[in-house]
Amino acid sequence: MSGFNLIQTKEAYGETLLELGTSNPDIFVVEADLMKASGSKQFMLKFPDRHINVGVAEQNLVSIAAGLAVMGRIPFACTMSNFLSQRACDQVFLGAAYNALNVKLVGCYSGLSQGKNGGTHISLMDFAIMRILPKMKVIAPSDIRELKEVLVTVSKDTGPTYIHLPRSLPENIFDSSYIFKINNAYVRGDGADLTIICNGLTTFIAFRAQEALEKENINARVLHIPTIKPADRKLIIRCAIETGAILTVENHSTCGGLGGLISEIVTEEFPVPVFRIGINNQFGLTADLEFQLQYFGISIENIQAKARELINFKNKIGQRRKELKYYG
Amino acid sequence: MVNIEGRLRKIADEIRLETFKVITEAGGGHFGGSLSIVEILTVLYFLKMKVDPSRPGDESRDMFVLSKGHGGPALYTTLAKRGFFSYNELYDGLDKPLSRFPKHVDRNMLESIELSTGPLGQGLSMACGIAISLKQQKKVNMVYVVLSDGELDSGQVWEAAMSAAKYKLDNIIAIVDRNNSQIDGPVEEVMPTDPLDKKWEAFGWEVFKADGHSIGSIIAAIDSAKIKNSQPKIIIANTVKGFGVSFMENSSEWHSGKVDEEQYKLGLKELQRRLNTC
Repeated sequence: MSGFNLIQTKEAYGETLLELGTSNPDIFVVEADLMKASGSKQFMLKFPDRHINVGVAEQNLVSIAAGLAVMGRIPFACTMSNFLSQRACDQVFLGAAYNALNVKLVGCYSGLSQGKNGGTHISLMDFAIMRILPKMKVIAPSDIRELKEVLVTVSKDTGPTYIHLPRSLPENIFDSSYIFKINNAYVRGDGADLTIICNGLTTFIAFRAQEALEKENINARVLHIPTIKPADRKLIIRCAIETGAILTVENHSTCGGLGGLISEIVTEEFPVPVFRIGINNQFGLTADLEFQLQYFGISIENIQAKARELINFKNKIGQRRKELKYYG
Repeated sequence: MVNIEGRLRKIADEIRLETFKVITEAGGGHFGGSLSIVEILTVLYFLKMKVDPSRPGDESRDMFVLSKGHGGPALYTTLAKRGFFSYNELYDGLDKPLSRFPKHVDRNMLESIELSTGPLGQGLSMACGIAISLKQQKKVNMVYVVLSDGELDSGQVWEAAMSAAKYKLDNIIAIVDRNNSQIDGPVEEVMPTDPLDKKWEAFGWEVFKADGHSIGSIIAAIDSAKIKNSQPKIIIANTVKGFGVSFMENSSEWHSGKVDEEQYKLGLKELQRRLNTC
């Protein structure tokens, strides 16, 4: 991707699983004929008795993982995020969530990172589906280092978990002091004009947009929320209070995902205008990631444009409030 | 052998009677598919499965997955009879809000239930996961799964069947409650499954058959199935939906229903008579 140095996630995924599997004999990997996509081949070669491949059978994938978890094993079940969240939705519901089992679900090639596999394969609803499930944790790492930390942390945590895993991510976009913890969000900057909320593939774009906005004297705060569920409500509300306007950016439908989550939280705690950038009521395209991100407005320029619009809107609301108070 | 069969016959008839009563007490429910699996559950829990009611989570226990989760009342009654909890608790609780006994068995409610089921077609896959773990650790525990015949319409069952054969899960013994009836009518009309035995053989399973209401036949089938040969095993148990209650037998109408007072009296009389002639 021009200007963005993205690295395929499968190497980090495969390496980290191998490390985890070496130190913990309960780690299992379950695949549905997509080992080449996920990167778990090294695990298979070293631990063939803990690597299960069910072929093109995603429902079986999830339920077998549930059975492994019943026995106290720690299965990482991986397939493309569309198949995992859509085709195997009932199995995720029953096997992982309802049974409250320690199943680690990994949706790879998530969202637009499916690229030229096209709209039939592009899942724009995995956040929405997964976060609705009681007991399910939902995590979307934003760089390779965070991905590794997520995998290690999740392997030690208990309970059903879904990891939204794009095909590629930047290597390292956070400062060295940042350490991933489930539920914690990460703030960059203390701007008071608006908060840009992001995760997964959109965080590095939001960081670039924040820098561009600063040049036009718009001070944006960026809130990276790797854990959609359980979300860091306190920090979200604090940003709402301190900036008065929120722009969410997600590699997902604008309905039900990150934008939906933020809207739900702020409207009941501290209502502020929330604009949402994502894919709005459309299917994905058959095009590479860069083209699709640009097409759907997940770009520095569009974040800047929406930020300006949002600030104008925030100011109008402020003005209107004053007028109403005057007449009231 | 005759003594064991006689003893288990009596237990099965008690379980059947209590199952009929407890579903009625709950205001109705899945009579048909509960009554058809009583002998299967009796043989498993009173003879063939290694279980300990005082230690339901014991690591050496055999595992049981009721893939046809709507057979819950029969499983609960069997577990109560076996000593996992009291009949009173079951009678007070079946299908009551926030009780430990919802009609579809629930892992979150009882330690003696390994997996919540209900949505059909998923149990065999879950059993495969359990069996894979056991094999990997070279443990000798067995995994028993009871499926309904209607459930075999579900594609996922065959995904699981392929996995079981691939991973040589000869520690799985699946039992099909072949009562030939599903919600919308006879299996042969809704979705024919014959030739069932050949289908499972084609998927790499060793197939056994049993009279699902004969204690001796079920015992013999399980004994044969326990001979390890790298193949997963399936017992096609020919059963009667609603077995033991004349107006329920072979009727899709009684997949789920509610009895009136006359029907209750008649059912009780028939099941009590059956028990008395044991």
